[in-house]
Amino acid sequence: MKSDPINSDLAPAVSVEDLSFTYAGNETPALREVNLIQRGGQMIGIMGASGAGKSTLAKVLNRIVPELEGGDFRGVVRISGKPIADAHVCDLATEIGMVFQDFESQLFSTTVAHEVAFAMERVGMPRDQILARLAPALEAVGLRGFEHRDPTTLSGGQKQRLAIASVLALRPRVIVLDEPTTDLDPEGRDEVFVLIRRLREDGLSLIVIEHEADELRQCDRIVLLRAGSIIVDGTPAEVMPRLELLEECGVNPPSLDRVVQMLGIEGHPANIDDAESAIRKRLPRMPSVPRAPATSANRAVVESKPLLEVENISFAYPDGPKVLDGISLCIGPGEFLAIVGQNGSGKTTLAKMTVGLIAPDAGSILLDGRDRASLRPAETAGQIGYVFQNPDHQIFAPTVEEEVKFGPRNFGLEDDEIERRCDEVLRAVALDNHRGSDPFLLSKGQRQRLAVASVLALRPRLLILDEPTTGLDYREQRKMMTLVSDLNRGGVAIVMITHTPWLVAEYAHRVVLMRAGRKLFDGPVREFFIEDELLRTSSFQPPEVTTLGRRFGIVALSAAELADWLRGRGA
Amino acid sequence: MKTTLYIDRESIVHRLHPTLKIFGLFIAFWSIYWIDNPLTLLPFIAVELAVAAFIHAGENIRRFRWFFVLIVLPTMITWLISYRRGTPIINMPLLHVSKESILFGLGKGMKVAALVLGSVLFLSSTKVEELSVGLSRLGLPYRIGFTITLAFRLVPLFIESALTVVDAQRLRGYDFDAGGPFERIGKYVPVIIPVFMGALRKANNMAMALEARGFGRSNLPTSFIEYRMHRRDAGAFAVLIGVGAISFMLYWTGYGAIPGASIHS
Repeated sequence: MKSDPINSDLAPAVSVEDLSFTYAGNETPALREVNLIQRGGQMIGIMGASGAGKSTLAKVLNRIVPELEGGDFRGVVRISGKPIADAHVCDLATEIGMVFQDFESQLFSTTVAHEVAFAMERVGMPRDQILARLAPALEAVGLRGFEHRDPTTLSGGQKQRLAIASVLALRPRVIVLDEPTTDLDPEGRDEVFVLIRRLREDGLSLIVIEHEADELRQCDRIVLLRAGSIIVDGTPAEVMPRLELLEECGVNPPSLDRVVQMLGIEGHPANIDDAESAIRKRLPRMPSVPRAPATSANRAVVESKPLLEVENISFAYPDGPKVLDGISLCIGPGEFLAIVGQNGSGKTTLAKMTVGLIAPDAGSILLDGRDRASLRPAETAGQIGYVFQNPDHQIFAPTVEEEVKFGPRNFGLEDDEIERRCDEVLRAVALDNHRGSDPFLLSKGQRQRLAVASVLALRPRLLILDEPTTGLDYREQRKMMTLVSDLNRGGVAIVMITHTPWLVAEYAHRVVLMRAGRKLFDGPVREFFIEDELLRTSSFQPPEVTTLGRRFGIVALSAAELADWLRGRGA
Repeated sequence: MKTTLYIDRESIVHRLHPTLKIFGLFIAFWSIYWIDNPLTLLPFIAVELAVAAFIHAGENIRRFRWFFVLIVLPTMITWLISYRRGTPIINMPLLHVSKESILFGLGKGMKVAALVLGSVLFLSSTKVEELSVGLSRLGLPYRIGFTITLAFRLVPLFIESALTVVDAQRLRGYDFDAGGPFERIGKYVPVIIPVFMGALRKANNMAMALEARGFGRSNLPTSFIEYRMHRRDAGAFAVLIGVGAISFMLYWTGYGAIPGASIHS
């Protein structure tokens, strides 16, 4: 698509007019009467619940919808002023770049250089031009010097940056990023958002789909989608303070906005400094010098005979470095432990060891006082359950009910006992209305809860959850975590591997931080969030309310807690 | 986890033109095809091992060690038992072992090992991009060549996902080892369905990402690495033709066969 450079610069980067779309075979439209104009150089954040139409809107912009995913399409889409109705997806690659959540599926080459060249080769760019663009593209994403690396050996953040580089090399005017950080650890998230900021400074037009509102405060505009329609389109200052509306749309509102509103302060704090000065203005009697962090009482850790004792275990894959290096850990009945740390720090290996999927090279594991090594994984499923990160790694049955009954059947339980357990766990995960449904037609959040249910049906006393909220929208995350904390209150010990700071703050009682196979911290949540040096070197940012609270002398774990405390002190 | 066999080195073998490497793989298969006699096979396997040492492919051969054992041993045993000619050393209703049957079984096993070894060497010294270029130079349509190379990338991903699914189901108390052989195959339903559904999802994501990167726009994509025939390629071509000819001569003159025993006799 060659276009007059002067005209296309004046035209909006993206314009969408009266767009409606219904996927083939569906009744309800995925998009309804959507209108959107993006001026060149703008950054637009798109938010909304799962199924609100965010990804569909992104795919419309380069014609994946309706060319690859067909259906009833109405409306006009223009990129740089040109209607794209007659263009193919592959023709638009040089006009609009797409970066997807699943970075594994976006990399096709055996070296970083080949990967960046891939798209340029596909569009038939001459060799000298490819070579000229290779270095700048890698430079832009901070991967210079990685030219000869095999992409499969990169970290998640590096992979996603590489995917961005391969899109950048085509020099499109617009780049659309569809949940680019959902599958990344905190370090990877930081890397990608720093890169996004830099791209924006370079004048690229960006559209970013996200469901953590905090990350989108830097946008020029926020577009909120609900059931396929744009509900709100405004600046962050206009949209972010509308807490109820955001929550209704499945978005986690910025926690700073929550705090200031609870204190009756108007306006939208753009960052922690902003929030602090607004609060000090409202509550002038607050001490102005931050004091030592208060060690407020932690939720009690139950002291009794441990369920699980991990003694000085080490593990390395053949010819590999040590994945676990002398880890000891004790978990008592009814505890709620969060394990945090970068990908590759050994969290999942440790978890797999406790359920017997991997045997340690050295050290011992005791489960209820019995040596783990003498027990097969299937034998202990009634004591210790493990919910894998991706529910789709275990779901196979034709109905929800059958999926749940699979485990108890393997244990040869009586039919009426199986029925009873099935009823019980489906009620617990709020899927009792879906007994006969096909699991593959459920939402991601429902499938995740089904996976939990099918493990719960074996009535474990200790439940390990590996990133149980990844890929879920805010509403589904809350539902999942309410379920988990209800289980915990009912006496099930919980070990949750997670990258999400607010989940740790609001739900866990105890934190273990891992790095390079070692345990760097093991203690109550509040004590964890004052370990500034450890947190910084682990790229684990405390929730913003916690950081804000410490400026007033409290380690607060939620917006409500901080607001209560401030009201009590400042009044 | 490393998911390809490619070993990043700058050896002469690595630097050969992709088309020539494909020809090399063909010659390896050709040469091995004509020869049954284990003694005559030895020098060919020795050449392969020498190439392996030269390109530092030892690590890859080690990765395949179980494969060698699992494929080669049963092949040997099957042929040893089913080959019922020659002067018997042991002659029982079900078991017939002769000098010829031992040689024959050994030869078949070594042949399979040599074929696998040749393929491992090829993949150790050839990037999938080169395979794609090489295939298209040989006249295969670009899209088909690319699909073949994509398969190399997908297989390890599927294996990884299958292993995870097996773990997940074992932890729900599922016993994969119970029952007879047919029952056991049926037992893999709880693995096959999640892996298959996952594969569909991955394939769909890949298709979108491919098109979004301009795949399909040009039937003759450019290549940022220039592949030109060099003098070393001509030399390698001559050597390969020679090896192929020697193998065929050995077959023609009867040195490739097992003395006193031909499958046709």
